[in-house]
Amino acid sequence: MPEENSLSHYINKSKEITKKFDKKIRIGLLSSYTINGLKEILQVKSADRNISCMIYEAPYNQYSQEILNQDSELYKFSPELTFLIIDTRNIFGDIFRFPYSVSSSDRKKIVEKTNREIKNLVDKFVEKTNSKLVITKLNIPSFSPNGIIESKTEYGFHEMIKDFNNLLMKNYINSENVFVYDFQSFVSKNGEDNIFNYGQFFFGDIKISMEYLPVFGQDLMKYVIGYLGTTKKCIVLDLDNTLWGGIVGEDGFNGIKLGPEPPGNAFMEFQRVLLSLHQRGIILAINSKNNYEDAIKVIKEHPYMILKEEHFAAMRINWKDKVTNMKELVQEINIGSDSIVFIDDDPVNREFVKSIFPEILVVDISNDPSSYVSIIENIIDFSVLKITEEDKNRGKMYFKQKIINELEESTPDLQTFLSQLDLKITIKEVDKFSLPRVSQLILKTNQFNLTTKRYQELDIEKMIHDPNFIVGCVQVEDKFGDNGITGVFIIKKENDEEWIIDTFLMSCRIMGRGIEQGIMTYIKNKAKNDKIKKIKADFFQTQKNKPIENFLPNCEFKEEGETWTYSIKSEIEFPDYLTLKVE
Amino acid sequence: MPEKLYQIISKVMKIDISVITDELGPETIENWTSFNGYVLLNELEIGFEVKFTINEAMDVKNIGDIKRHLRNKGINIDG
Repeated sequence: MPEENSLSHYINKSKEITKKFDKKIRIGLLSSYTINGLKEILQVKSADRNISCMIYEAPYNQYSQEILNQDSELYKFSPELTFLIIDTRNIFGDIFRFPYSVSSSDRKKIVEKTNREIKNLVDKFVEKTNSKLVITKLNIPSFSPNGIIESKTEYGFHEMIKDFNNLLMKNYINSENVFVYDFQSFVSKNGEDNIFNYGQFFFGDIKISMEYLPVFGQDLMKYVIGYLGTTKKCIVLDLDNTLWGGIVGEDGFNGIKLGPEPPGNAFMEFQRVLLSLHQRGIILAINSKNNYEDAIKVIKEHPYMILKEEHFAAMRINWKDKVTNMKELVQEINIGSDSIVFIDDDPVNREFVKSIFPEILVVDISNDPSSYVSIIENIIDFSVLKITEEDKNRGKMYFKQKIINELEESTPDLQTFLSQLDLKITIKEVDKFSLPRVSQLILKTNQFNLTTKRYQELDIEKMIHDPNFIVGCVQVEDKFGDNGITGVFIIKKENDEEWIIDTFLMSCRIMGRGIEQGIMTYIKNKAKNDKIKKIKADFFQTQKNKPIENFLPNCEFKEEGETWTYSIKSEIEFPDYLTLKVE
Repeated sequence: MPEKLYQIISKVMKIDISVITDELGPETIENWTSFNGYVLLNELEIGFEVKFTINEAMDVKNIGDIKRHLRNKGINIDG
């Protein structure tokens, strides 16, 4: 039996919902079979999350009519999120039982035809409403009349359904409005014999059994959470008996359970699943009662720690109570406490945090570390309808900011601060690989841009091939990783004695780290090697390029009328906080 | 009184245990729709760890029928 309440629990409880919540959603339910009870399940589960849920349930197996009829009740209801729940028998009709009554090429045609029909319906729906649509993939039944030689059958029954599902997925892979629900994952997680029960099927065309309909509803809630954006964004973790087994203060660095042998492997796997969430944008933080030195030594030095210091946006490792620490974490990470998940093996801590922060999702982990991974996997609150690049880098950015703040606070002067960043710049001539990025920087950079000249890719390409120009780009790395190409300069070789800086710019991402001094020193040295006497530069002021206004005087350029000039000296020192590599 | 049976009926049909009699059925219990009748059988199956055949499920017209089928399966509902 699933770990869920019974269907009657939801049916009855839905009648007791009287409270109106601020968060609201209108859901349309369309299906090809009996889904009685799903409405109530979604309403109760929504109410549990402080969401008021209005639902329109289309009549049994009327999904086509509801979508095609312009004046249908569905459209009048104007849902924000609609579930279209279809099934294999309904889509394929007789072919479901008799797939081998027709040739393989006919089977292929049937799949293409049915897929087209569904696509037309979905397109129609998208055209007529603003609702997001979630359509279910078709279940692949384990039975086939061909039995064990099914896998030797050309375009067999199972492959047909797989193909249908793949086409469905591909149709909407880039769609902002249509999402494809992987019904097969639901079945494989819970078991075909549990989900589909012939008794219930014959009795009332029930294709998701009453016992498992609440589990299905729980899965659909992911879309509600994603749609409303009530997603959890941060996991706050305890350490002892949560990230590793045992208590480091008592068992010592070598005594804690963390490693390839059981039970240490359960903690390692738990850390891996946390890391995978971190990689897609979930912030991690620590709230632990511990001696800081003991705990941080494990985090920094233990050979089997999967999560490293850099994965945590903030840490509270001390002897203060968990609520005080939680308050500080919320402030430091600058995040709503309602987007936090708290994981701690100690039920007292959990209750305490829950009592002060009812909005925090406090996960009840048991005292069995082997169950931690599945508990995390079953949390539906991380669901999003979209993952942006910013999401993927969020964890890194938080850590970076944390370290930079700490460094700035603790360092007496800028030079020391910069030297602690392990800055490394690589300067290379622009080639066809770097050209698109360089062009993007030239067209977009506003703040640290000396002349704000905008060149298209073609213009830049001409300059690359012109011996009178040097087109260089700068890649910047620091102790936190590679920032990519973030600086560009273009030099015009005016004559044998004089160069002109046509363009000099840097992305705002790397401003304030003295990178520009390094680039300019490189240019000066290169000029010196070419026996150049003078470098000239223009500064064209715009509304946005204030950050670069003192750059030329800082680099010992002297104002001469409308332009700036630097006379090459015999000694040109490279900033000592930077490492330079020329390619 | 068949306590466990009545508790399940009371929960699914949202009626008080004290009003339950063998004669009650879809006509007399407001929540006894065809679907909810089936929900009741499903929850009895789970509660008593039995299976109703499709014939038995179709045959149930009132509480008395449910008792009869449970007894036929060797369930001592009064115990």
